[in-house]
Order: sequence, then C-alpha cells, then structure tokens
Amino acid sequence: MASATGFLPAVRDALNRNRTRIIVLAVLVMLLLMATRGMSAQDWVITLLRGLSVAAVTFLVASGFSLIFGLMDVLNLAHGMLFMLGAYVGWTVYTRPDTAVDVVTPLAWLIAGFMLMPLWGRLLGRVSLPHRVARLWPWLGLLVAVVILALSLSRYPIAMWDPTIYNQSPVVYSLMLDQGQLKMPEPATASAMALALGLGGALIGSALAAASLAGLRHREASGPTTGRLQWGALVVPLVLLVIGLGVYAINEPLTAALFNLDTTWRFLLAVIVATLTGAGLGGLMESTLIRPLYARPIYQLMLTLGLGVIGREVVVALWGRTQITMSAPTLFAGSGKGCPATSVSDWLAKQCSTISFMDARVRTYNEILVILVGVLVLIVIGLLIQRSRLGMIIRAGVQDREMVEALGINVRRVFTLVFAVGVGLAALGGVIAGPAMGLSDDMGESLLLLALIALAIGGLTSFPGAAVGSVLVGVLQQFIIKYGQIGIQLPFLPQPFKPTPPLVPASTVLLMVIILLVMPQGLFGRKE
Amino acid sequence: MSNLLEVRDVHTYIGQFHILQGVTVTVPQGTITALLGRNGAGKTTTLKTILGLTPPRQGQVILDGREIQGLRSFDIAALGIGFVPEHRAIFRDLSVAENLAIAERKKGDLARKEDLIYGLFPDLKRLIKLGGDHLSGGQQQMLAIARALVADNKLLLIDEPSEGLAPVLIEQMIAAIHQLSAETTVLLVEQNFVVASQLAQHYVIIEEGRSVKSGNMADLVNDRATIHRYLGAA
Repeated sequence: MASATGFLPAVRDALNRNRTRIIVLAVLVMLLLMATRGMSAQDWVITLLRGLSVAAVTFLVASGFSLIFGLMDVLNLAHGMLFMLGAYVGWTVYTRPDTAVDVVTPLAWLIAGFMLMPLWGRLLGRVSLPHRVARLWPWLGLLVAVVILALSLSRYPIAMWDPTIYNQSPVVYSLMLDQGQLKMPEPATASAMALALGLGGALIGSALAAASLAGLRHREASGPTTGRLQWGALVVPLVLLVIGLGVYAINEPLTAALFNLDTTWRFLLAVIVATLTGAGLGGLMESTLIRPLYARPIYQLMLTLGLGVIGREVVVALWGRTQITMSAPTLFAGSGKGCPATSVSDWLAKQCSTISFMDARVRTYNEILVILVGVLVLIVIGLLIQRSRLGMIIRAGVQDREMVEALGINVRRVFTLVFAVGVGLAALGGVIAGPAMGLSDDMGESLLLLALIALAIGGLTSFPGAAVGSVLVGVLQQFIIKYGQIGIQLPFLPQPFKPTPPLVPASTVLLMVIILLVMPQGLFGRKE
Repeated sequence: MSNLLEVRDVHTYIGQFHILQGVTVTVPQGTITALLGRNGAGKTTTLKTILGLTPPRQGQVILDGREIQGLRSFDIAALGIGFVPEHRAIFRDLSVAENLAIAERKKGDLARKEDLIYGLFPDLKRLIKLGGDHLSGGQQQMLAIARALVADNKLLLIDEPSEGLAPVLIEQMIAAIHQLSAETTVLLVEQNFVVASQLAQHYVIIEEGRSVKSGNMADLVNDRATIHRYLGAA
C-alpha cells in the first residue's frame, strides 16, 4: 500500500482511521456542553475544574500502572497501596519532620547492607560448598538476619506519634499544624548502647540477608557468570554509611530547621521525599519480588494483591485507622483580607486559598496546583516516552520485548527503571492528593479502581489513553455529584432527577461499559 | 577456514516440550549457511537458542572460540550477533529512523553505517520519517535487515527473509543479502529452497529437532533424493 502523500489526503486518511474514536469523543464533549444548560455557568466551571482535579490524581496512578502493564505485563494490584503510602510518607515529612529525620540514619545503614549483594555474589562464585550446605545456609542466614533486624531496629530511638493515644495521634498533629501551633516534639532518647546496637544490627542484619539472598540466587543460576565487579558496589554502601552518620550528627539542628521552614517549602520537600521513596520501593519490588515471577502471571497477581493488603495493614499499624487531614501549605492556605484573590499575581502576593474566576471561587490548591501537577507529569512523561532513548526502548518493548533484548539491550534494567518511575508517579499522586482529599486507609483501593476504569476506557497500555480516560472518569464523577445536589431535568420525568451517591461510581462503570461496547480496545487501545 | 559459530549437540526445551534434540551447526567465517527443513522442524528455535532467547539445556554454543550458552541474551547479542526475526518484526510504534536508532550499541553507530544501509536499501532513506506501521511488507523486511546492520555485528541470524514477499522483492532481497555477506557471516533460515540455494554456500538440514545432514549447497542442489526426502518439494 502506498502511503498517502500531501496534506489533504493525509488528513482524510487520519479521519477515516479514527472515525469511531472521533465520534465517541464528540458525543462526550457535546454531553459536557449540554450540561451548561442545567446549571449556572460558575457551577459548571467549578464542577469541571473539580473533575479535572480528580482526573489529575487518577492520571498519576493510571499512567504508572499502564506503563508497568504495557512493558512488563504485570498487573500491579499494589499500585493503590503505593499511592496511599506516598500520601502517608508525605504527611510524615510535612507534619512530623522529626520522625522523618530520625528514620534516615537506620534506613541508610539498612540499605547499605543490602547493597553489598553483588559483592557477596562475586565471593560466592569463588567458593564451592557441598550441595546440601549450599542449599541450606541461605535459608538459615535469612532467618537469623530477620531476627537480628527485628531485635535491633525495634530498640532504635525514633520520635513518633502514637495512634492509640489521642493526644499524640496523627489527627492531633495535623490539627496543630493547621492552627499554627505545631512545635518540635520531644526528641526520642536512648542509651548509646541501644543506638550502637540498633545501627550495628541494621548493618549486620541486612548484610547477612543480602548474603543469603545472593546465596539463593547463586544456587539457581547456571552457566558462566559475566561482568566485572564495579567499584560502585563498594563505594555506594560506604557513602550511605557516611550519610547516615552525618544526618545523625546534625539530627537536632536539622529537625529544628525543618520545623521552622515555611510549610510551602516543607510540602515541596515532602513531595520529593515521597516520590523518591515510591520510586525506590518500586525498583526494589521489581528486582526482588516480581522478577522471579515473570513467567508465572497468576503468581504475580497474587503477589501484588498480597502486597497491597500487607501494605495497607502496615499503614494502619503505623498511622492508625482514623482519617487524617493534611493542611494545604501556606501558599494555598491564606483566607484573610483581600481573599479570594482576583488574579494569579494577586494570589501569589496574598497567598489566598481561593481565587475568583468567572464569579466562581476556585480553590488554589485543589483546582489549580493539583491540575498543574497532572499536566506537568503528562508533558514530562510524554516527552520522555516520545523523545528519549529510554522512551524508544519502552515503546519498542511494549510491542516485542524479545526483539529489544536481541538488539543487545538490557531490558531487565529498563524494567526496574520503569517500575520505579511508575510507582514513583503513584506516590507523587498520593502526596499531592493528601491536602486535597485527606488520608485514609481505603484511599488507595478507591483510587486504583477509578484508575482501572480510566484505563479500560482509554486503552490499557496507551499513555494518551490514560490521560483521556482519567479526564472522562474524573469529570463525569464530579458532574454526577453536582447533579446529586441540584438535580437534573431529564425528559419524560416530572421532577428533576437527583443521582444518589451510590450512582457516582456506577456512572463511571456505565461509561466504561458503553465505550467498551463500541470500542473493545478502549479509546486509544491498539488491536493485538 | 575457521568457524565463526559452532553449535554442538544442543538440546532446548520450551516449557515441557523437547524441541531441539541434538542440533549441530557450524558456520564458517565469511559465508552464508542455510538452515533447511520442514515447518516446525526447529529451525527458528535453533536461531533463538544461539541468541539465548530460548537457552539450551545441554550442549554448547561457541562464538569465535568462546562458549556463550547460558549468557543472558542481551549480552550474547552485544558480542556481535544481529537478529532479523521472522514475520518482519519491526517496531510498529517507532518511526523508521527510530527503528534504526534503537539498534545503536555505541553512539554514532548509525552515522557510521548509513552509507552501507542506504547503499543496500535506497528506499529507506525516503521513508525515514514514516511510522513503522505505514510500511509495506517489503519495506518492513528491508528495515528489519537494516536494523541488524546498525551495530557492528560479526554474525547475522536471518529468519525467513523471503516469506510473503513478491518475486520482484525476493530478487532484491537476495541481491542485498549477497552484498552484505561480503562484510558479515550469515546464518539464515529459509523455507524456499530456490532462494536458499541461490544464497547459501553451506546447508544444514534439521528434521524433528535434530540436525540430520549438512554439507555444501552445490552438492545438495543435484541431490534430488535428499531434497525430496527432507524438504518435500523438489
């Protein structure tokens, strides 16, 4: 088939190929415009913006999920939990920076120990053990390592809240921050002995665990081993140890500085820490748990499902079951004289929580920042996929992983990276959603469901599909909620119809069903 | 004449199925060798076993005097093996330019090989901006071969280059493969005996997962009985 040349035939060609897609989108846009007749203009603007805000958060979860599914065929059911974890980690840095600082030192030592794994692998390659010993010792080592880690880390002093005592619960700390009464809590104290035991145990335990894991892997591997040991394998753990000690040395001034920081900057820090934590967890999850299961999709599904449940229980155990609020940073929290702001520069000067736009009061955090972050991620990840070499490998790998490998590209490393990016995006979504939607132990599941519906609508492995699907789901949801308040005049009905709250999730599922009936691959899905 | 590649009595399983049950192939440096045999005999699996995509459970694969079985497939490929899979598996979501660029192993590979690639396939230069899903079958096959030429490869594994192409295009393909064999050694799988006989100097016949016969193509062409017995067609 000769390709169409010239501008007009190319346009006609594109129109023909996308006919169904264009019709479906046109119908949806018309429905959206028709909604202006049922409500006032400012209601319509606000509802649309709220929808886009929900869409932005949904998109952060959906895009990561679809990147991971597209490249690796892994349905990461733990994605919702990781979104939630991002929110809680963000809350901790934002509301209790002292806890966050306390955690850095043992965590750095712990990671340093685990990063010795390639070194152990090398050493194990040199010694040959009797078969039975080689089979047994890694399991024993792992057991001992877990005991050491549990004993030592539980003694390590970390200043923390206590969800079981109301006065020290996360809810109260959130409230205090909101009212500007948050002061630096008492630092945790412990004897030098407990400290040394805690840190030493973290290092020895994790190093032993790493050696055992290397032993397990070594037993399974066959054939000649390749590659040289790089110096990074030793330098990075050493650097981590030094960082850990350094943070410990400046623990108190650092904590004080963080408490005195303007909440806008602390929020930015929380966003960065939560995103990086998510990315780190994602990379760790792929390289240790998911990788052995690529050939066994059902096990993978059970694994991610189980991780989701475990993660949720961990969150409940650490932060409690009660819903926590997270106050918006100062830049988005002002409400005194001169607010709502009349323009963007006015808002930046007065730091208002709302801004007037077409007679409507638009919340600067929920409806401006959240949407902006969504758009920013859309652009950055879009450029990454379309323009970078990594993106090229991802697009190629989605179609034919084997062929990419046959070109001499280490696809596994790309897998780990993409998993890290995907989970990092979910965690970013969590921390951004924190001040807008609040934190609760079921926020992950409800958002994962919304993201899955969005992906089914947009096409499971399509990046633009994730964006369009999220927008449709978010906007539809908010309009149904709005109509629940003001009612909608439907033909053949004597009274305005008010959708009840249960109809909100039902509406998005209904939209999914209709779109899948017309386009079984979703709006932007590709036929296999 | 030294052998660039030696496959010695490899056994490969896919799942529980014992697909290769003793395949031995030698590919002399600077020649074209053809794997012949019926559908499902194990020709494609032999190529994938060499590349480590379906690693062998037994036997050796020796490239340039070095055992490579058991290495990870991207490490094997990086040793200098280019792969042209069957069904013209180019990346449809990538443009022609990207399909070539992704095969770079070092920066500047593509720039260095441009003359060679566009010399062989002048059409590709014109199509460079097009998406992979806009190419015709013949153009896709050219791109698939060109992609394997971007990096410095000592050995090309080509799976069914003539499959589904019009006779005119097959002629072009034969000419191109002849031309590139001046630079690299080629091991190819070919169903079409006429095409294989025009291309290769050596052959190996695979039957039910075993290599049963090998030798010079010139002798096979006159050996009606063997052709009839193992390849069906005359």
